[in-house]
Amino acid sequence: MNSPFLSARNVSIFYGDKQAVFDVDLDIEANKVTALIGPSGCGKSTFLRAINRMNDQISSCRFEGSLKIGGQDIYDKSVNVVALRAQVGMVFQKPNPFPKSIFENVAYGLKIHKLTSSKTELQDRVEWSLKSAGLWDEIADRLNEPGNSLSGGQQQRLCIARTIAVEPKVILMDEPCSALDPIATAVVEELIDNMRKDFTIVIVTHSMQQAARISQQTAFFHLGQLVEFGETKDVFTNPREQRTQNYITGRIG
Amino acid sequence: MENVHITSSFDKDLGEIKARVVKMGTLVASQLSEGMLMLANPDAARVEALVKNDRKVNGMNTSIAKHAERLIALRQPMALDLREALSPINIATELERIGDHAKSAAKRSQKMLRGAIPPEFQALLSAISGLLQTQIDDVLRAYDKSDLALAAHVREQDRQVDDLNRKVFELSVLALSDGKRDAATLMNVVLVSRNLERVGDHIVNIARYVNQIVTGDDLKATE
Repeated sequence: MNSPFLSARNVSIFYGDKQAVFDVDLDIEANKVTALIGPSGCGKSTFLRAINRMNDQISSCRFEGSLKIGGQDIYDKSVNVVALRAQVGMVFQKPNPFPKSIFENVAYGLKIHKLTSSKTELQDRVEWSLKSAGLWDEIADRLNEPGNSLSGGQQQRLCIARTIAVEPKVILMDEPCSALDPIATAVVEELIDNMRKDFTIVIVTHSMQQAARISQQTAFFHLGQLVEFGETKDVFTNPREQRTQNYITGRIG
Repeated sequence: MENVHITSSFDKDLGEIKARVVKMGTLVASQLSEGMLMLANPDAARVEALVKNDRKVNGMNTSIAKHAERLIALRQPMALDLREALSPINIATELERIGDHAKSAAKRSQKMLRGAIPPEFQALLSAISGLLQTQIDDVLRAYDKSDLALAAHVREQDRQVDDLNRKVFELSVLALSDGKRDAATLMNVVLVSRNLERVGDHIVNIARYVNQIVTGDDLKATE
């Protein structure tokens, strides 16, 4: 294994008295897609949200352990959470474009993080982002139309364009295709596969086939524990753990 | 019951396809036994019936492949389930080949006169075919019950078949050298023995598939 880009050690996450994630060690490599799978309530989304400190917004939520990205402990007191979230972007289950134009949706992050110095540069970055998200050809002449006028699949790609506009190191995706039809899903999956050359992607998905199709590494969570982590091709063909086998084959464990 | 699927119809589908493979295996075993009977007592009508049955075996192979294809398309199985869904295609193909060898042995009986096979050769061929009958029964049971120990035993037993086949060859060479036996009959005996030896190889392949279904390991690479 190459040296990990994202490294979790002894990560435990609590909601009040209830522990949601138990002592997880996980190393994620750069420029790979890592899928987090497991039944509802297994802690995979909680773990995903810990990677850009989204859980900070839940007052009862407590994090223990260490989570490093590129060697930097993101829970260190010196870390600016807003800057962290520019480095670690997130795409959600339901497409959630801002109530703004297509252009402004993508330009917003660039403006608030002051990442461009001129209008031309801003326009170029918006265009680059929309092209990278595979959306440009479909909306190039509609940039001023509202983001929510697009189809569901286009809205999700707009959200991806908005996320990559600020050039994060890591992109977190929480079931990004669960609200999309199979064609829009295939387009987003193709996009994810193309994006991994530039980004490190961690995706939570309930679709085993999707995890098998798009990820190189898979982590199986159950009851808050990381049960198995390995190459996707091994996890889905010959898992080491019986619990993983039961889950991916739909058996009662 | 342990490790059943949440969707019980999936277990039913897998069970049905397995039952089809076992049924095909039972028919193939009886074809082999019939083929060996024909060697001792050639009977044109029964050979014709055996050839007809072989077409049925071939049809079962095609039907099993179709069922497996449908199961894979509809259930999208993973890991152990995928191997369980794919293996009927491979195992049925092996069984179909065993059927071909049984047919070939039976047809060869038509080229020999009743009682033409010298007793020492008949005894050897009967010994091989007896072993193969046990092996087919065992390998089908190993497949049905996912019994790794029994599958390993079947693989091990193939040596005895190989040894007996070698003995047939050596005895034939000796008999041909002293010129007391009919050369054409001896050639037919050697070819039948070769058919049986190949049957043994197909049984070993099935035993390897049983291992592969359960463990995910391909024994062909290591054995």
